[in-house]
Amino acid sequence: MKFQLKRLYFQIILFFTANLGYPGLPGLKTGFCYPFFYCQACPAATSACPLRALEDSVYKQSFEWRFFAYPLLILGFFGVTTGRAVCAWACPIGFLQRGTSRVARKVKKHPFAQKLGKHKAEKYLRYTKYFVLIGLVILTSILIGFIFTDICPVGFLTGTIPILILNPGKFLPNYFFPVALIIFILFLVLIFIIERGWCRYFCPVGAILSPFNKISFLHIEVHEKGCTHCNMCSYVCPMGIDVPRMHRDPECILCGKCVNACPKNQITFERI
Amino acid sequence: MRKFLALQIAALIVVSGALGGMFFASNAFEEVRTRIVLVLCLSCIKLEPKTVRNFTFATDNNAPHPSFILENLTKGPVFLHYSENVCAGCEVMFPIVKSLFHVEFGKKDIFWRTVPFNSTNITYIYVNLDNTTDMLENTFPLYDKDDIGGLPMFVVMTLGYDHGTVRPYYTTVYGTLNVPTDADRTALLTELLHESIELYNQNKAGYHPH
Repeated sequence: MKFQLKRLYFQIILFFTANLGYPGLPGLKTGFCYPFFYCQACPAATSACPLRALEDSVYKQSFEWRFFAYPLLILGFFGVTTGRAVCAWACPIGFLQRGTSRVARKVKKHPFAQKLGKHKAEKYLRYTKYFVLIGLVILTSILIGFIFTDICPVGFLTGTIPILILNPGKFLPNYFFPVALIIFILFLVLIFIIERGWCRYFCPVGAILSPFNKISFLHIEVHEKGCTHCNMCSYVCPMGIDVPRMHRDPECILCGKCVNACPKNQITFERI
Repeated sequence: MRKFLALQIAALIVVSGALGGMFFASNAFEEVRTRIVLVLCLSCIKLEPKTVRNFTFATDNNAPHPSFILENLTKGPVFLHYSENVCAGCEVMFPIVKSLFHVEFGKKDIFWRTVPFNSTNITYIYVNLDNTTDMLENTFPLYDKDDIGGLPMFVVMTLGYDHGTVRPYYTTVYGTLNVPTDADRTALLTELLHESIELYNQNKAGYHPH
Protein backbone atom coordinates (compact mmCIF):
# COMPACT_ATOMS: atom_id res chain seq x y z
CA MET A 1 0.00 0.00 0.00
CA LYS A 2 1.28 3.46 -0.86
CA PHE A 3 2.65 5.35 2.10
CA GLN A 4 0.45 8.44 1.68
CA LEU A 5 -2.60 6.23 1.33
CA LYS A 6 -1.69 4.61 4.66
CA ARG A 7 -1.48 8.07 6.17
CA LEU A 8 -4.91 8.90 4.75
CA TYR A 9 -6.44 5.76 6.32
CA PHE A 10 -4.72 6.62 9.58
CA GLN A 11 -6.19 10.12 9.51
CA ILE A 12 -9.68 8.79 8.77
CA ILE A 13 -9.49 6.23 11.58
CA LEU A 14 -8.22 8.83 14.05
CA PHE A 15 -10.89 11.29 12.99
CA PHE A 16 -13.56 8.76 13.92
CA THR A 17 -11.69 7.79 17.09
CA ALA A 18 -11.66 11.44 18.14
CA ASN A 19 -15.41 11.53 17.57
CA LEU A 20 -16.71 8.59 19.57
CA GLY A 21 -18.41 10.83 22.09
CA TYR A 22 -21.77 11.37 20.44
CA PRO A 23 -24.45 10.45 23.00
CA GLY A 24 -25.30 6.79 22.58
CA LEU A 25 -22.97 6.27 19.60
CA PRO A 26 -21.12 5.18 21.77
CA GLY A 27 -21.03 8.28 23.94
CA LEU A 28 -17.45 7.90 25.13
CA LYS A 29 -16.55 11.07 27.05
CA THR A 30 -13.12 10.82 28.64
CA GLY A 31 -10.88 13.10 30.68
CA PHE A 32 -8.02 13.00 28.18
CA CYS A 33 -6.79 16.04 26.32
CA TYR A 34 -6.40 15.62 22.59
CA PRO A 35 -2.74 15.80 21.51
CA PHE A 36 -3.96 17.98 18.62
CA PHE A 37 -6.35 20.85 18.00
CA TYR A 38 -9.98 19.78 18.36
CA CYS A 39 -12.84 21.28 20.31
CA GLN A 40 -14.48 19.54 23.28
CA ALA A 41 -17.67 21.42 22.37
CA CYS A 42 -18.08 19.17 19.32
CA PRO A 43 -21.12 17.02 20.16
CA ALA A 44 -19.09 13.90 19.31
CA ALA A 45 -15.82 14.88 21.02
CA THR A 46 -14.30 12.30 23.34
CA SER A 47 -11.70 14.53 24.99
CA ALA A 48 -10.79 18.10 25.87
CA CYS A 49 -8.91 20.63 23.80
CA PRO A 50 -5.46 21.06 25.40
CA LEU A 51 -5.74 24.84 24.99
CA ARG A 52 -8.99 25.00 26.97
CA ALA A 53 -7.29 23.16 29.84
CA LEU A 54 -4.37 25.60 29.71
CA GLU A 55 -6.72 28.59 29.74
CA ASP A 56 -8.61 27.09 32.63
CA SER A 57 -5.39 26.65 34.61
CA VAL A 58 -4.31 30.31 34.49
CA TYR A 59 -7.64 32.13 34.18
CA LYS A 60 -7.54 35.55 35.91
CA GLN A 61 -4.29 34.93 37.77
CA SER A 62 -5.45 31.69 39.30
CA PHE A 63 -3.02 28.84 38.86
CA GLU A 64 -4.04 25.22 38.89
CA TRP A 65 -0.89 23.25 38.26
CA ARG A 66 -2.77 20.05 37.40
CA PHE A 67 -4.67 21.69 34.55
CA PHE A 68 -1.49 23.38 33.39
CA ALA A 69 0.78 20.34 33.47
CA TYR A 70 -1.73 17.75 32.26
CA PRO A 71 -2.18 18.90 28.62
CA LEU A 72 1.50 19.81 28.34
CA LEU A 73 2.53 16.35 29.49
CA ILE A 74 0.17 14.66 27.04
CA LEU A 75 1.53 16.81 24.21
CA GLY A 76 5.05 16.30 25.59
CA PHE A 77 4.69 12.52 25.47
CA PHE A 78 3.66 12.57 21.83
CA GLY A 79 6.24 15.26 21.13
CA VAL A 80 9.15 13.28 22.57
CA THR A 81 8.17 10.07 20.82
CA THR A 82 6.95 11.30 17.42
CA GLY A 83 7.67 15.04 17.28
CA ARG A 84 5.06 16.94 15.32
CA ALA A 85 3.82 13.82 13.54
CA VAL A 86 0.37 14.14 15.15
CA CYS A 87 -0.17 17.23 12.95
CA ALA A 88 0.13 15.14 9.80
CA TRP A 89 -1.19 11.81 11.04
CA ALA A 90 -3.84 12.50 13.65
CA CYS A 91 -5.07 16.10 13.72
CA PRO A 92 -8.52 16.49 12.10
CA ILE A 93 -7.63 20.08 11.15
CA GLY A 94 -4.53 18.75 9.44
CA PHE A 95 -6.79 16.25 7.69
CA LEU A 96 -9.03 19.10 6.55
CA GLN A 97 -6.02 20.99 5.23
CA ARG A 98 -4.96 17.91 3.34
CA GLY A 99 -8.29 18.25 1.54
CA THR A 100 -7.76 21.93 0.74
CA SER A 101 -4.12 21.48 -0.29
CA ARG A 102 -5.00 20.74 -3.92
CA VAL A 103 -6.39 24.26 -4.31
CA ALA A 104 -3.54 25.75 -2.28
CA ARG A 105 -0.95 24.06 -4.51
CA LYS A 106 -2.56 25.61 -7.58
CA VAL A 107 -2.47 29.04 -5.93
CA LYS A 108 1.18 28.41 -5.05
CA LYS A 109 2.07 28.27 -8.76
CA HIS A 110 0.96 31.87 -9.28
CA PRO A 111 4.00 34.16 -9.68
CA PHE A 112 2.75 36.56 -7.00
CA ALA A 113 2.33 33.71 -4.50
CA GLN A 114 5.81 32.45 -5.34
CA LYS A 115 7.24 35.88 -4.77
CA LEU A 116 5.47 36.14 -1.43
CA GLY A 117 6.58 32.65 -0.45
CA LYS A 118 10.20 33.55 -1.06
CA HIS A 119 9.96 36.84 0.84
CA LYS A 120 12.38 37.01 3.75
CA ALA A 121 9.54 37.92 6.13
CA GLU A 122 7.89 34.54 5.54
CA LYS A 123 10.16 32.67 7.92
CA TYR A 124 9.46 35.24 10.66
CA LEU A 125 5.72 34.92 10.09
CA ARG A 126 6.03 31.35 11.30
CA TYR A 127 6.70 32.69 14.79
CA THR A 128 3.13 34.02 14.86
CA LYS A 129 1.92 30.74 16.32
CA TYR A 130 4.14 31.21 19.37
CA PHE A 131 2.66 34.68 19.88
CA VAL A 132 -0.84 33.22 19.54
CA LEU A 133 0.02 30.59 22.16
CA ILE A 134 1.68 32.92 24.65
CA GLY A 135 -0.31 36.07 23.92
CA LEU A 136 -3.84 34.96 23.13
CA VAL A 137 -4.05 31.65 24.95
CA ILE A 138 -1.97 32.25 28.08
CA LEU A 139 -1.48 35.99 28.70
CA THR A 140 -4.99 37.20 27.90
CA SER A 141 -6.39 34.44 30.11
CA ILE A 142 -4.14 35.55 32.95
CA LEU A 143 -4.50 39.30 32.57
CA ILE A 144 -8.00 40.07 31.27
CA GLY A 145 -9.84 36.80 31.54
CA PHE A 146 -10.54 36.64 27.83
CA ILE A 147 -10.09 33.17 26.43
CA PHE A 148 -8.92 32.28 22.93
CA THR A 149 -11.56 29.53 22.88
CA ASP A 150 -14.26 32.21 22.58
CA ILE A 151 -13.06 33.24 19.11
CA CYS A 152 -11.26 30.08 18.04
CA PRO A 153 -11.87 29.19 14.35
CA VAL A 154 -11.31 25.49 15.04
CA GLY A 155 -13.95 25.64 17.77
CA PHE A 156 -16.24 27.39 15.32
CA LEU A 157 -15.75 24.65 12.75
CA THR A 158 -15.87 21.63 15.03
CA GLY A 159 -18.12 22.92 17.82
CA THR A 160 -20.39 25.75 16.73
CA ILE A 161 -21.31 24.51 13.23
CA PRO A 162 -22.14 20.89 14.25
CA ILE A 163 -24.22 22.16 17.19
CA LEU A 164 -26.16 24.49 14.88
CA ILE A 165 -26.75 21.67 12.37
CA LEU A 166 -27.80 19.11 15.00
CA ASN A 167 -30.07 21.53 16.88
CA PRO A 168 -31.86 23.62 14.27
CA GLY A 169 -33.63 26.61 15.75
CA LYS A 170 -32.46 25.90 19.28
CA PHE A 171 -29.53 28.32 19.47
CA LEU A 172 -28.88 31.96 18.70
CA PRO A 173 -25.52 33.67 18.10
CA ASN A 174 -23.94 35.34 21.13
CA TYR A 175 -21.72 38.44 21.25
CA PHE A 176 -18.56 36.50 20.28
CA PHE A 177 -20.21 35.03 17.19
CA PRO A 178 -19.58 37.88 14.67
CA VAL A 179 -15.87 38.12 15.56
CA ALA A 180 -15.50 34.33 15.53
CA LEU A 181 -17.28 34.15 12.16
CA ILE A 182 -14.87 36.68 10.61
CA ILE A 183 -11.87 34.78 12.00
CA PHE A 184 -13.35 31.53 10.72
CA ILE A 185 -13.78 32.97 7.21
CA LEU A 186 -10.17 34.18 7.28
CA PHE A 187 -9.15 30.70 8.45
CA LEU A 188 -10.96 29.15 5.48
CA VAL A 189 -9.38 31.61 3.05
CA LEU A 190 -5.97 30.91 4.58
CA ILE A 191 -6.14 27.13 4.23
CA PHE A 192 -7.32 27.43 0.63
CA ILE A 193 -4.57 29.82 -0.46
CA ILE A 194 -1.63 28.55 1.59
CA GLU A 195 -1.00 24.84 1.96
CA ARG A 196 -1.20 24.02 5.68
CA GLY A 197 -1.44 27.77 6.32
CA TRP A 198 -2.98 27.23 9.75
CA CYS A 199 -0.26 24.76 10.83
CA ARG A 200 2.53 26.98 9.48
CA TYR A 201 1.53 30.29 10.99
CA PHE A 202 -1.16 30.13 13.63
CA CYS A 203 -1.71 26.76 15.32
CA PRO A 204 -0.94 27.15 19.06
CA VAL A 205 -0.89 23.38 19.55
CA GLY A 206 1.69 23.15 16.78
CA ALA A 207 3.66 25.79 18.68
CA ILE A 208 3.77 23.51 21.72
CA LEU A 209 4.76 20.47 19.66
CA SER A 210 7.32 22.17 17.38
CA PRO A 211 10.28 22.31 19.82
CA PHE A 212 9.94 18.57 20.47
CA ASN A 213 11.07 17.93 16.89
CA LYS A 214 14.56 18.75 18.11
CA ILE A 215 14.67 15.73 20.43
CA SER A 216 11.97 13.37 19.20
CA PHE A 217 12.79 9.72 18.62
CA LEU A 218 10.94 9.66 15.30
CA HIS A 219 12.27 12.19 12.82
CA ILE A 220 13.18 12.65 9.18
CA GLU A 221 16.81 12.49 8.20
CA VAL A 222 18.28 13.94 5.00
CA HIS A 223 21.47 12.16 3.95
CA GLU A 224 23.31 15.11 2.49
CA LYS A 225 26.12 13.13 0.86
CA GLY A 226 23.82 11.49 -1.65
CA CYS A 227 21.59 14.54 -2.15
CA THR A 228 21.63 15.94 -5.69
CA HIS A 229 19.69 19.05 -4.67
CA CYS A 230 16.96 18.37 -7.19
CA ASN A 231 14.60 20.02 -4.68
CA MET A 232 11.75 17.60 -5.37
CA CYS A 233 11.43 17.22 -1.60
CA SER A 234 11.04 20.96 -0.98
CA TYR A 235 8.56 21.19 -3.84
CA VAL A 236 6.22 18.61 -2.30
CA CYS A 237 6.68 19.68 1.32
CA PRO A 238 3.27 20.97 2.57
CA MET A 239 4.99 23.05 5.25
CA GLY A 240 7.23 24.87 2.75
CA ILE A 241 10.47 23.69 4.35
CA ASP A 242 13.80 23.82 2.55
CA VAL A 243 14.14 20.07 3.07
CA PRO A 244 17.76 19.43 1.93
CA ARG A 245 18.96 21.90 4.54
CA MET A 246 16.65 20.87 7.34
CA HIS A 247 17.87 19.12 10.41
CA ARG A 248 15.11 18.29 12.84
CA ASP A 249 13.21 21.34 11.64
CA PRO A 250 10.51 22.47 14.15
CA GLU A 251 8.14 22.96 11.23
CA CYS A 252 8.40 19.37 9.97
CA ILE A 253 5.17 17.44 10.50
CA LEU A 254 6.64 14.10 9.41
CA CYS A 255 4.08 13.57 6.68
CA GLY A 256 6.70 11.66 4.66
CA LYS A 257 5.98 13.36 1.36
CA CYS A 258 9.66 14.25 0.96
CA VAL A 259 10.62 10.65 1.74
CA ASN A 260 8.37 9.45 -1.08
CA ALA A 261 9.46 12.18 -3.47
CA CYS A 262 13.23 11.77 -3.21
CA PRO A 263 14.42 10.06 -6.42
CA LYS A 264 17.67 8.98 -4.76
CA ASN A 265 16.06 7.66 -1.56
CA GLN A 266 18.25 9.96 0.49
CA ILE A 267 15.50 11.02 2.87
CA THR A 268 14.39 8.51 5.46
CA PHE A 269 12.37 8.17 8.62
CA GLU A 270 14.66 7.51 11.57
CA ARG A 271 13.58 6.12 14.91
CA ILE A 272 16.42 7.38 17.11
CA MET B 1 25.32 10.58 19.60
CA ARG B 2 25.19 8.67 22.88
CA LYS B 3 24.67 11.87 24.82
CA PHE B 4 21.78 12.78 22.56
CA LEU B 5 20.22 9.36 22.98
CA ALA B 6 20.58 9.69 26.74
CA LEU B 7 18.84 13.07 26.53
CA GLN B 8 15.99 11.57 24.50
CA ILE B 9 15.55 8.68 26.93
CA ALA B 10 15.69 11.03 29.93
CA ALA B 11 13.04 13.28 28.35
CA LEU B 12 10.82 10.28 27.66
CA ILE B 13 11.20 8.96 31.20
CA VAL B 14 10.46 12.36 32.76
CA VAL B 15 7.42 13.05 30.57
CA SER B 16 5.87 9.59 30.72
CA GLY B 17 6.67 9.25 34.44
CA ALA B 18 5.05 12.59 35.24
CA LEU B 19 2.05 11.82 33.03
CA GLY B 20 1.61 8.35 34.54
CA GLY B 21 1.92 9.91 37.98
CA MET B 22 -0.81 12.40 37.14
CA PHE B 23 -3.14 9.64 35.99
CA PHE B 24 -2.64 7.54 39.10
CA ALA B 25 -1.94 10.06 41.85
CA SER B 26 -4.13 13.03 40.92
CA ASN B 27 -7.70 13.46 39.82
CA ALA B 28 -6.75 15.50 36.73
CA PHE B 29 -8.39 12.98 34.41
CA GLU B 30 -11.72 13.14 36.25
CA GLU B 31 -11.55 16.91 36.66
CA VAL B 32 -10.94 17.48 32.95
CA ARG B 33 -13.81 15.16 32.19
CA THR B 34 -16.33 16.78 34.52
CA ARG B 35 -15.18 20.39 34.16
CA ILE B 36 -14.39 20.60 30.45
CA VAL B 37 -15.64 17.63 28.45
CA LEU B 38 -19.05 17.08 30.01
CA VAL B 39 -20.00 20.73 30.47
CA LEU B 40 -20.64 22.94 27.49
CA CYS B 41 -19.24 26.45 27.88
CA LEU B 42 -21.84 28.49 25.99
CA SER B 43 -19.52 31.43 25.32
CA CYS B 44 -16.96 29.00 23.87
CA ILE B 45 -19.45 27.80 21.24
CA LYS B 46 -20.35 31.42 20.47
CA LEU B 47 -24.04 30.49 20.81
CA GLU B 48 -26.84 30.87 23.30
CA PRO B 49 -29.85 28.61 23.62
CA LYS B 50 -33.09 30.37 22.79
CA THR B 51 -34.78 31.46 26.00
CA VAL B 52 -37.87 29.27 26.39
CA ARG B 53 -39.61 30.29 29.59
CA ASN B 54 -42.29 27.63 29.87
CA PHE B 55 -42.54 25.82 33.23
CA THR B 56 -42.51 22.03 33.40
CA PHE B 57 -42.92 19.19 35.91
CA ALA B 58 -40.61 16.81 34.03
CA THR B 59 -37.10 16.36 35.30
CA ASP B 60 -34.42 14.50 33.33
CA ASN B 61 -35.64 10.88 32.99
CA ASN B 62 -38.42 11.84 35.44
CA ALA B 63 -35.93 11.45 38.28
CA PRO B 64 -37.20 12.50 41.74
CA HIS B 65 -36.30 15.94 43.07
CA PRO B 66 -33.58 16.01 45.73
CA SER B 67 -34.91 16.28 49.27
CA PHE B 68 -33.22 19.65 49.92
CA ILE B 69 -35.16 21.15 47.01
CA LEU B 70 -38.42 19.71 48.29
CA GLU B 71 -37.70 21.04 51.80
CA ASN B 72 -36.78 24.51 50.58
CA LEU B 73 -39.97 24.68 48.54
CA THR B 74 -41.91 24.79 51.81
CA LYS B 75 -40.42 28.29 52.39
CA GLY B 76 -40.94 29.68 48.90
CA PRO B 77 -39.63 29.39 45.33
CA VAL B 78 -36.07 28.17 44.79
CA PHE B 79 -33.59 29.80 42.43
CA LEU B 80 -30.63 27.67 41.30
CA HIS B 81 -27.71 29.48 39.70
CA TYR B 82 -25.20 27.22 37.88
CA SER B 83 -21.80 28.56 36.92
CA GLU B 84 -18.17 27.57 36.42
CA ASN B 85 -14.76 29.19 36.90
CA VAL B 86 -13.86 29.89 33.27
CA CYS B 87 -16.84 31.07 31.23
CA ALA B 88 -17.50 34.51 29.78
CA GLY B 89 -21.29 34.16 30.03
CA CYS B 90 -20.99 33.25 33.73
CA GLU B 91 -18.92 36.41 34.29
CA VAL B 92 -21.67 38.51 32.69
CA MET B 93 -24.45 36.96 34.77
CA PHE B 94 -22.68 36.72 38.12
CA PRO B 95 -23.02 40.39 39.19
CA ILE B 96 -26.58 40.60 37.81
CA VAL B 97 -27.81 37.72 39.92
CA LYS B 98 -25.93 38.93 43.00
CA SER B 99 -27.51 42.37 42.80
CA LEU B 100 -30.94 40.89 42.08
CA PHE B 101 -30.90 38.99 45.38
CA HIS B 102 -28.67 41.46 47.28
CA VAL B 103 -26.17 38.77 48.19
CA GLU B 104 -22.40 38.90 48.31
CA PHE B 105 -20.05 35.95 47.82
CA GLY B 106 -17.08 34.79 45.75
CA LYS B 107 -17.25 33.06 42.38
CA LYS B 108 -15.73 29.88 43.79
CA ASP B 109 -17.82 29.75 46.97
CA ILE B 110 -20.53 27.28 47.85
CA PHE B 111 -23.37 29.61 48.75
CA TRP B 112 -27.08 29.47 49.52
CA ARG B 113 -29.40 31.80 51.38
CA THR B 114 -33.08 32.47 51.87
CA VAL B 115 -33.64 36.02 50.65
CA PRO B 116 -36.73 38.22 50.75
CA PHE B 117 -37.98 39.10 47.29
CA ASN B 118 -41.22 41.02 46.86
CA SER B 119 -42.29 40.04 50.39
CA THR B 120 -41.80 36.34 49.59
CA ASN B 121 -38.88 34.18 50.70
CA ILE B 122 -36.81 32.79 47.87
CA THR B 123 -34.06 30.25 48.43
CA TYR B 124 -31.09 31.22 46.33
CA ILE B 125 -28.57 28.42 45.69
CA TYR B 126 -25.31 29.09 43.88
CA VAL B 127 -23.65 26.08 42.25
CA ASN B 128 -20.20 26.52 40.75
CA LEU B 129 -19.74 23.15 39.09
CA ASP B 130 -15.96 23.38 39.51
CA ASN B 131 -16.23 23.86 43.29
CA THR B 132 -19.28 22.20 44.69
CA THR B 133 -20.64 19.15 46.46
CA ASP B 134 -21.80 16.01 44.64
CA MET B 135 -25.33 16.63 45.90
CA LEU B 136 -25.53 20.04 44.22
CA GLU B 137 -23.63 18.92 41.11
CA ASN B 138 -26.10 16.09 40.55
CA THR B 139 -28.95 18.59 40.19
CA PHE B 140 -27.38 20.08 37.05
CA PRO B 141 -28.48 17.40 34.54
CA LEU B 142 -31.73 16.95 36.46
CA TYR B 143 -32.96 20.48 35.68
CA ASP B 144 -31.33 20.88 32.27
CA LYS B 145 -34.78 21.27 30.71
CA ASP B 146 -33.71 21.70 27.07
CA ASP B 147 -30.79 19.20 27.20
CA ILE B 148 -28.23 21.90 26.59
CA GLY B 149 -25.63 20.83 29.14
CA GLY B 150 -24.27 24.35 29.07
CA LEU B 151 -23.37 27.15 31.44
CA PRO B 152 -24.46 29.55 32.81
CA MET B 153 -27.83 28.04 33.65
CA PHE B 154 -30.62 29.31 35.91
CA VAL B 155 -33.50 27.30 37.32
CA VAL B 156 -36.57 28.92 38.83
CA MET B 157 -38.44 26.36 40.90
CA THR B 158 -41.96 26.88 42.15
CA LEU B 159 -45.15 24.81 42.69
CA GLY B 160 -47.71 23.73 40.13
CA TYR B 161 -50.97 21.82 40.13
CA ASP B 162 -50.74 18.53 38.27
CA HIS B 163 -53.68 16.08 38.07
CA GLY B 164 -54.85 16.59 41.61
CA THR B 165 -51.47 17.07 43.31
CA VAL B 166 -49.20 20.02 43.88
CA ARG B 167 -45.69 19.28 42.64
CA PRO B 168 -42.42 21.13 41.99
CA TYR B 169 -42.75 23.09 38.78
CA TYR B 170 -39.73 24.71 37.17
CA THR B 171 -38.26 26.50 34.22
CA THR B 172 -34.66 26.77 33.07
CA VAL B 173 -33.00 29.61 31.18
CA TYR B 174 -29.47 29.61 29.81
CA GLY B 175 -26.55 31.82 28.93
CA THR B 176 -26.99 35.57 28.97
CA LEU B 177 -30.71 35.13 28.26
CA ASN B 178 -30.68 36.35 24.62
CA VAL B 179 -31.15 39.98 25.61
CA PRO B 180 -28.62 42.71 24.92
CA THR B 181 -28.20 44.62 28.18
CA ASP B 182 -27.78 43.91 31.87
CA ALA B 183 -31.00 45.82 32.58
CA ASP B 184 -32.88 43.50 30.20
CA ARG B 185 -31.37 40.46 31.88
CA THR B 186 -32.40 41.72 35.31
CA ALA B 187 -35.90 42.48 34.02
CA LEU B 188 -36.27 39.02 32.50
CA LEU B 189 -35.16 37.25 35.69
CA THR B 190 -37.39 39.51 37.79
CA GLU B 191 -40.34 38.69 35.56
CA LEU B 192 -39.66 34.97 35.93
CA LEU B 193 -39.42 35.33 39.70
CA HIS B 194 -42.72 37.22 39.84
CA GLU B 195 -44.36 34.47 37.81
CA SER B 196 -42.92 31.82 40.12
CA ILE B 197 -44.13 33.68 43.21
CA GLU B 198 -47.62 33.94 41.77
CA LEU B 199 -47.70 30.21 41.02
CA TYR B 200 -46.27 29.45 44.43
CA ASN B 201 -48.92 31.48 46.22
CA GLN B 202 -51.67 29.78 44.22
CA ASN B 203 -50.48 26.27 45.09
CA LYS B 204 -48.62 26.37 48.41
CA ALA B 205 -51.67 25.32 50.45
CA GLY B 206 -51.69 21.92 48.79
CA TYR B 207 -47.95 21.24 48.94
CA HIS B 208 -46.50 18.40 50.99
CA PRO B 209 -42.76 17.87 50.50
CA HIS B 210 -42.77 14.08 51.07
